[in-house]
Amino acid sequence: MVENSVDPVPVLLALVPALPLLGCLITILQGKLLGARAHLPAVVTIAASAVCSLALLAGTAAEVHGPDGGSEHPSRPVASVHTLWQWVHVDDAIHGVDAVSGVDADAPEDAATRPFAIDVVLRIDPLTATMLSVITCVGLLVAIFSIGYMHGDPGYPRFFALVSAFVFSMTMLVSASNYLIVYVFWEAVGACSYLLIGFWFRKPEAAAAAKKAFLVNRVGDFGLAVAVFLLWMTYGTLDFHDIVSADGTIISGILGQTRLTNADGIVGGTVGTAICLLLLLAACGKSAQAPLHVWLPNAMEGPTPASALIHAATMVTAGVYLVARSAPLFVACPDALVVVSLVGGITALIAGLIATVQNDLKKVLAYSTISQLGYMFVSLGTGTLLGFTAAIFHLVTHAFFKALLFMGAGSVMHSMGGVIDMRRFGGLRQLMPITASTFLIGSLALAGVPPFAGFFSKDEILASLHARAWPGGHGDHAEETHAGADPLSSETLATSAATTIVGDARAPFAMASMKANAADGHDASDHANDAAHDEHAEATTGSLNNPTTWKAIWWMALFTAGLTAFYTFRAVFMTFTGPLRVPEEAGHHAHESPPVMTYPLYILAAASAISGLWIFSTDALGSFLPATPSLWAPAVASTAVPHLFHWDIAMQGTLAAAIGIAIAAYGHYGRRSDEPQMERYLGSLGTVFANRFYFDELYVITVVRPLEMLSSIAAAFDSYVVDGLVDAIGHLPPSLAGVVRRLQSGLIQRYALAGVMGVLVIVASLVWSLKQ
Amino acid sequence: MNPVTTPFMFPVLAVENAATAVATVVSPAMGMLHNGLLVGAILFTLGLVGILTRRNMIVMFLSAELMLQGVSVSLVSWSRFHGDWGGQMLVIFVLTVAACEAAVALVFVLQAFSRTGRLDANAWQSLREAVLPQTIDQALPPIDSAATQWPTLTPAGVEPVRDEEALLEREHV
Amino acid sequence: MTLPVSLSPLLAVNATLLADVGQVAAQPRWLMAIAVAAAAVSLWLLLPKGLENRRARPIGVVLGSIALACFALAGRRLGSLGEEAVFLLVAGVAVVSATATIVTRSPVYAAIWFAMTLAGVSGVLLVLDAQFLGVATIVVYAGAILVMFLFVLMLAQPSGLASYDRVSSEPMLAAIAGAVLVGLLTVSIGRLSAPAALEGDQSVAQTEAEEAAAAPTAVAAPDQLRDDHVARLGGELFGRHLVAVEAAGVLLFVALVGAIAVVTRGEAAALAEGRPTR
Repeated sequence: MVENSVDPVPVLLALVPALPLLGCLITILQGKLLGARAHLPAVVTIAASAVCSLALLAGTAAEVHGPDGGSEHPSRPVASVHTLWQWVHVDDAIHGVDAVSGVDADAPEDAATRPFAIDVVLRIDPLTATMLSVITCVGLLVAIFSIGYMHGDPGYPRFFALVSAFVFSMTMLVSASNYLIVYVFWEAVGACSYLLIGFWFRKPEAAAAAKKAFLVNRVGDFGLAVAVFLLWMTYGTLDFHDIVSADGTIISGILGQTRLTNADGIVGGTVGTAICLLLLLAACGKSAQAPLHVWLPNAMEGPTPASALIHAATMVTAGVYLVARSAPLFVACPDALVVVSLVGGITALIAGLIATVQNDLKKVLAYSTISQLGYMFVSLGTGTLLGFTAAIFHLVTHAFFKALLFMGAGSVMHSMGGVIDMRRFGGLRQLMPITASTFLIGSLALAGVPPFAGFFSKDEILASLHARAWPGGHGDHAEETHAGADPLSSETLATSAATTIVGDARAPFAMASMKANAADGHDASDHANDAAHDEHAEATTGSLNNPTTWKAIWWMALFTAGLTAFYTFRAVFMTFTGPLRVPEEAGHHAHESPPVMTYPLYILAAASAISGLWIFSTDALGSFLPATPSLWAPAVASTAVPHLFHWDIAMQGTLAAAIGIAIAAYGHYGRRSDEPQMERYLGSLGTVFANRFYFDELYVITVVRPLEMLSSIAAAFDSYVVDGLVDAIGHLPPSLAGVVRRLQSGLIQRYALAGVMGVLVIVASLVWSLKQ
Repeated sequence: MNPVTTPFMFPVLAVENAATAVATVVSPAMGMLHNGLLVGAILFTLGLVGILTRRNMIVMFLSAELMLQGVSVSLVSWSRFHGDWGGQMLVIFVLTVAACEAAVALVFVLQAFSRTGRLDANAWQSLREAVLPQTIDQALPPIDSAATQWPTLTPAGVEPVRDEEALLEREHV
Repeated sequence: MTLPVSLSPLLAVNATLLADVGQVAAQPRWLMAIAVAAAAVSLWLLLPKGLENRRARPIGVVLGSIALACFALAGRRLGSLGEEAVFLLVAGVAVVSATATIVTRSPVYAAIWFAMTLAGVSGVLLVLDAQFLGVATIVVYAGAILVMFLFVLMLAQPSGLASYDRVSSEPMLAAIAGAVLVGLLTVSIGRLSAPAALEGDQSVAQTEAEEAAAAPTAVAAPDQLRDDHVARLGGELFGRHLVAVEAAGVLLFVALVGAIAVVTRGEAAALAEGRPTR
């Protein structure tokens, strides 16, 4: 570990979250005073935070590459931690390290107790630096865009306060160096998400959507909580980093250098798998993976900038970040890894299918987000360095183009008077040329059309997946190729052949190290794979972790790539082409958005256009991210492969995208968007898609209805039994009094009569007693 | 216990008693005390029943005076039995207090009457518990007018002749 | 016979009761019971009950007469027959007119019956050697208080019989309560002479002598009270009870002032509330 105490790193690191927090507080306290300028604190502080983040990114990059320039694989991890203050300290907390003997060689193991110390520690390493830059930059652009979009809203200050609070929480989440702190800000971003989805809380749909998001996220948060408990019991610490205590002993953190370099440092087996699956559950909740994805489409009830920032670019990627951060844990548990990939692949496929029949522009983008996040999980699940890197790569590019698309949708919505149903408008290209062109760039990036950003990141994901499905296909190009009788081979060959032409055309893009002999390379992989991985296959007999699964995932991913292109361009064609139609709600406001909204679109469009190519060509992330301790760990680093461009895979991906775009163009280009085009070919399948694979109905039947029944039983118990008891006790005195009350008739002679009767009793007793 | 009382008004009974019981005659003083107390008790009880039953506040008041009379008789009986003046003194003060009481209480009765227009004790039943219904008297049959028919005298004498002119003249005066 | 101490009084009581029942002299006891019961039923029949219970009234009168007769029979023999006759007369007048006071419907008649009661009571007082009180009762009550009642009646009820004069509240319960009270009182009165009677078993002379020893004042009293009655009464009143007399005077004065004050304030309140004043 490199502890920098003299350089400005700690200050910058603290400023990144602190500035948005300051902006949030100022906006909350002075929002009414600021009025129409309520965006100033948020925009200024987020901008300053972005500057700090970029400075940190530059500093970290410089440290990674060192004086000798970019090396293929960094020789040492780059990370520094900075303790702000101690939050919790409990002496002699019980943990279960002894139960897993030999795990923690450096820690004192004489007792099953250990101080439970939670420090608020910020860390900076390549992964954090990347995340920070993405969050703050996209956050800044969204905040600027919101100045125009939210103009005149009665909750104007509240919106910017929430955006600031979100940026604060999210930056803390990615820079925290402790699972408990991560958990805290995991909840904090969830709370911000809840508040922003329910921003227009007077709208019943928005309130319900916010509630749904919150409740579904609880399931995932429960997983994270249990995972944190298990981590404490297993490792006796929750820190990522090693701590050198006062007497010189090293308490090794979960993701610290000492543990990572130790071959037995990471717990595998049942406990490890359980931890990983619980972390995956948490990631599924936050990143809207099946089956917990149902909240994200409803989250579109929130303001569009919030959707762009939180529900497309940043917060939903927290799950990806968490899995990437915990990479060594996952790598130690191959079974968990394949589950990650399967979840991602199924989610990507399902969400893509649903997106094809959505008519709400924002819903299309929401399902697209779910699908792309599924892509990232597929990539993470491969468990290779390439996979992790590709996931983060896709995270970065996706953040750019999805934010761009959402803001483009917001721009459309802004000028259409709040209407977002694509069937009600069309041909907006004529009306909003800037929005249309930037949206088109974003769509090209999303569809994976070269040379836009999405193409490269998606290509890397497919490559990592391909390497897993056909081991040896790309890992070792010197291997003797073998034209097997694979049923897929002819198709693959055809694809590869077609790709060469495109590949030549792309040659100037400096894929210098790429070898064209990959054309038929992966065909050999089937047999070679079986031979080489016999042991592995035997070790995991009966589990999902076998090449067949990975091949299935591969085809799912490839099919999803085509789907992505189709639904993206379906949306583009429905919205921007065809005869010009404007809904009546738009009135005379139907025009291009103001510059404060279009400039962020320009910037993001530029980023979407070139970031992928730049990052890929310079291998910016490939050489940078592996310096992160989690990815530097030998278990992960050993899976490193040379940085190559895979023509065959690129061909397949591009072909899939081209087919998707072609179908979309055939169905929708230049037509009236209110006429069903492709849906009629789908038949009953379309109904299934349109009903979102009945996930919501499934939840209603399995969760909501039983809960409602239970609740109504409890409510009935409360109102009849509990209230009845209370009321009965309450009715007792009046009913007893009701008997006596009849005597209080107001007729004084009855009172006198009662008195006389009392006197008679006394006299009788006197006479009786005086008889003696 | 021996027979201590002897009825005396009806000779037959007296003879029977004399025959069956030992002829014991309690001293006249004791007998007078006994009888006086008995009369006092009866008067007191009649007054009590009157107070409990009669609705007219003035009759209730008369009943209260009746009770005082019963008490006075008892006190005087004891005074005679013991041969001292204490009982009679007490009765004198009872008279005094009764006079004061009558004056003040009658004023109150009048005040109550001026508020409700009735001497009915039940007219003040609004002091009852709020939830209870008002006690309403049963519908009374009309008073038998025959019972209150007073005898009428036949007119006597001769109606004087009216001098119409004289009346007119008087109009002009 | 060893019994718990707490039980022995009860047993003693039971023994006494049994002894009573066994005696012939239990006759006045059932006489008294008949008297009380008849009086109660009679009162219940006679009290106004809204209905024109003319038919029941004669039954009530008959029952009342029976009750009166039984009371008279249960009474004790006095010294002389003349004294007895006079006492019975005045006591009968008092009781009968007291009954009439409470059962008559018209309050004016009730007041007049009350005057009659006062006359009877006055007679009883005279028989009881309280001549001054007998006269004072007539003077003070019949002369002053009763006239005040009649004035109030004239003021308040100028027009005939009101509905509330034709009904009673709880006549049956009140009659029963009254009967129980009289029964209890007569039981306790009847027990007064018991110790003396026990001793008077031997002969008249012996009994009288022992009674004289037992209650010396009771024998000597009548003579003492008869002599210079009013003078002695006055001496007693203005001697021993002077302070009380003064207090009674103050009380009368305060009552006078209070009555006037209440009336004037009531008039003022009536004026303020807009009610008609007399």
